[in-house]
Amino acid sequence: MHSLYLWPDSPALSLVVLWLLSQVLLYAARVPVHRGLRKLGTALGGALRLVARWLRSVSDDLRRRNREVLLEAGRAESEARLEHEFQRLATTFTAELKEYPGLHRRLDESVRTVEEDLKASALTPPEAPGWPEAVQAMANMPKAGDRTVQKVLDEIHRSAVASEKKALSEYREAMARRHKVLAQTAPIWKAIRALLEEVQRAVTGALSASSRIDAYMERYEKIRRGEDLVERGLSASTLNLFIISLFVVAVAGFGGLVNFQLIARPMSELVPSGGWVLGMPISMIAALVIVLMEVAAGIFLMETLGITHLFPRLSGLPASRRRIIFLVALTGLALLAAVEASLAILREQLFEADKALALALAGETARGKVEVAAPLVSKIPVIGQAVLGFILPWILAMIAVPLEMLVESGRHVIGRALQLLVRGSAIVVRLCAHLVRYLTAVLAFVFDIYIVIPLQVERLAKGRAPGAQGPVEAGALRNPTERTVTFKAPR
Amino acid sequence: MSPVRASRASLSRSLATLGILLLCACSDARSHARATAVLIDVSGTYFDQLGEMVRITRAGLLPGIHPGDSFFVIRVEERSYDRTAVEAAINFDAQPSRANAQKLTLSGTLDRFARNARRAQYTDVTGAILLAAEYLRETRAGQKEIIIFSDLKEELPKGAKRSLEPGELTGTEVVAMNVKRLAADEKDPSAYRARLAEWGTRLTRAGASSFRVVLEPEELAQAFAQER
Repeated sequence: MHSLYLWPDSPALSLVVLWLLSQVLLYAARVPVHRGLRKLGTALGGALRLVARWLRSVSDDLRRRNREVLLEAGRAESEARLEHEFQRLATTFTAELKEYPGLHRRLDESVRTVEEDLKASALTPPEAPGWPEAVQAMANMPKAGDRTVQKVLDEIHRSAVASEKKALSEYREAMARRHKVLAQTAPIWKAIRALLEEVQRAVTGALSASSRIDAYMERYEKIRRGEDLVERGLSASTLNLFIISLFVVAVAGFGGLVNFQLIARPMSELVPSGGWVLGMPISMIAALVIVLMEVAAGIFLMETLGITHLFPRLSGLPASRRRIIFLVALTGLALLAAVEASLAILREQLFEADKALALALAGETARGKVEVAAPLVSKIPVIGQAVLGFILPWILAMIAVPLEMLVESGRHVIGRALQLLVRGSAIVVRLCAHLVRYLTAVLAFVFDIYIVIPLQVERLAKGRAPGAQGPVEAGALRNPTERTVTFKAPR
Repeated sequence: MSPVRASRASLSRSLATLGILLLCACSDARSHARATAVLIDVSGTYFDQLGEMVRITRAGLLPGIHPGDSFFVIRVEERSYDRTAVEAAINFDAQPSRANAQKLTLSGTLDRFARNARRAQYTDVTGAILLAAEYLRETRAGQKEIIIFSDLKEELPKGAKRSLEPGELTGTEVVAMNVKRLAADEKDPSAYRARLAEWGTRLTRAGASSFRVVLEPEELAQAFAQER
């Protein structure tokens, strides 16, 4: 500051002179400064607006691509579901139709049997030929005097009564036979009912499958049309899937960490090496590789079982080869689980040895300390660690399923996040463009405020002059050379 | 071989080569082992502390040693720069159980040393430091440390010359444990402090990355175990 003083001994005078000089010079440079600021604002603002526009178009592109990917994924999923339903329907129909001729034959036979039984039960025995009236008439006849006639009549009466009894007996026997025949049809009716229920069940299943197919078809059509509602629904379900799968993968990751800790110490016994890779000793890398191999074996297992579809090439292999891969992966996983269980047992023994060593180095008798725990109790951690070592690889193997979901949903979620980020950046850049334009305008006003005295002098001088214009307004400043410099409000 | 198969085989070979190169690039060339030299003063003024110092070494330092580390025990006596002053020198095995067995052996050696040590007439601290620095350099360990159990009152035999050249202790941390206060120190504590300050200056001038004084054995053991 002192170097700027014209007269170092008189700083006040120097400052006043400097101020006056600056007033004169800046007043003279007012128009170019205003123009420069305006151009600067326009240039910077325009550039930023261009960037904002470009970011917006990138964001739109990303959105379009995300939408396409999402709809495509939704369509593929719907197609897979439809295919699955069609397969189920075809399987059901094939099974039912295969059964249908037998069912039909059984139903036909049952109906025929029932018809025959009905016919059999319809054959009524001959009715008694009016015996009761004849017997009654004979009984009511007046007693004749002739004994012979009387005897004949009695004989006729007795014979009529006997015939009536016989006819009645035959009638009862015939009725009993009919009832028996009708009673025999009851199981057939039950069988017919069961068959009809079976048919109804099959038909209901087919109808239910067809209604499901209808729903899927409707959804599929909506996806094909690319309806916004469907897109939003797909997006929401994908986000849910992403969060859930992320949570499950994180849990599995912690499980992997526990697994790693379980075998890291014993691996240093099995792979003793002074080498380090990526800041970790080789033994830890070996333990990590074992855990990752378990995950890889699990992925292959799930893939060959058809549960996941991370490797399309595997699903395209013939069944026999897939079976070989499945068996190899299963055997590998079982072996790794067994190795881990044994390592877990070794780990406990090593820790016991370490404790004994620490006691020995401290000068205490190791035996006395170790014997504090009873033998039965001291085996519990060993058994627990061995079981944990055996089970954890199988649980880790299941990570393939959430991992696939995470990969599938992550593609959309990351794309969406990227799109939002770009869109947000576009908004920020646009705001910056506005800010720059306003700032340059404000700078011009600040400039004018600094040289307000010469400007006021100019205004007064012009106010006295004939044809002078009004006072200087903000935004429309008149320069000494009668040229107007106008600042437009930024758009 | 068909062109497709040939190109696939070539791609596989390239990927394998790339993998090996990446693995080599990731492999850590820096040594992660630690070499520690413990200098135990057996001179007249410090001899009565020997048992305690051996106990601290055995119970406080040995548990903190990792497989692959190196450990030296050197006596501070009349001619400490002589190789015969090395009481124990062990490069621990990379296998933890073998390293533990070596620790037990070393523990026994230290106990024998505590029982059979003879009192020295002079205190050649610098000679012991020079010898320790040579041993530590030879190990090429990534972390080097000298722990001194002494009153740091140097008394050289007649005719002996000792000096610490710059760079002698480059990258070595020096810890002075249980620096005993002498009778003169009790009369004038500034003498004790001046002695410590002088050693600090000498050691840092010789390239030591740090010099600190520890009073409590527990603190030494804790720091030793956590320094990796």
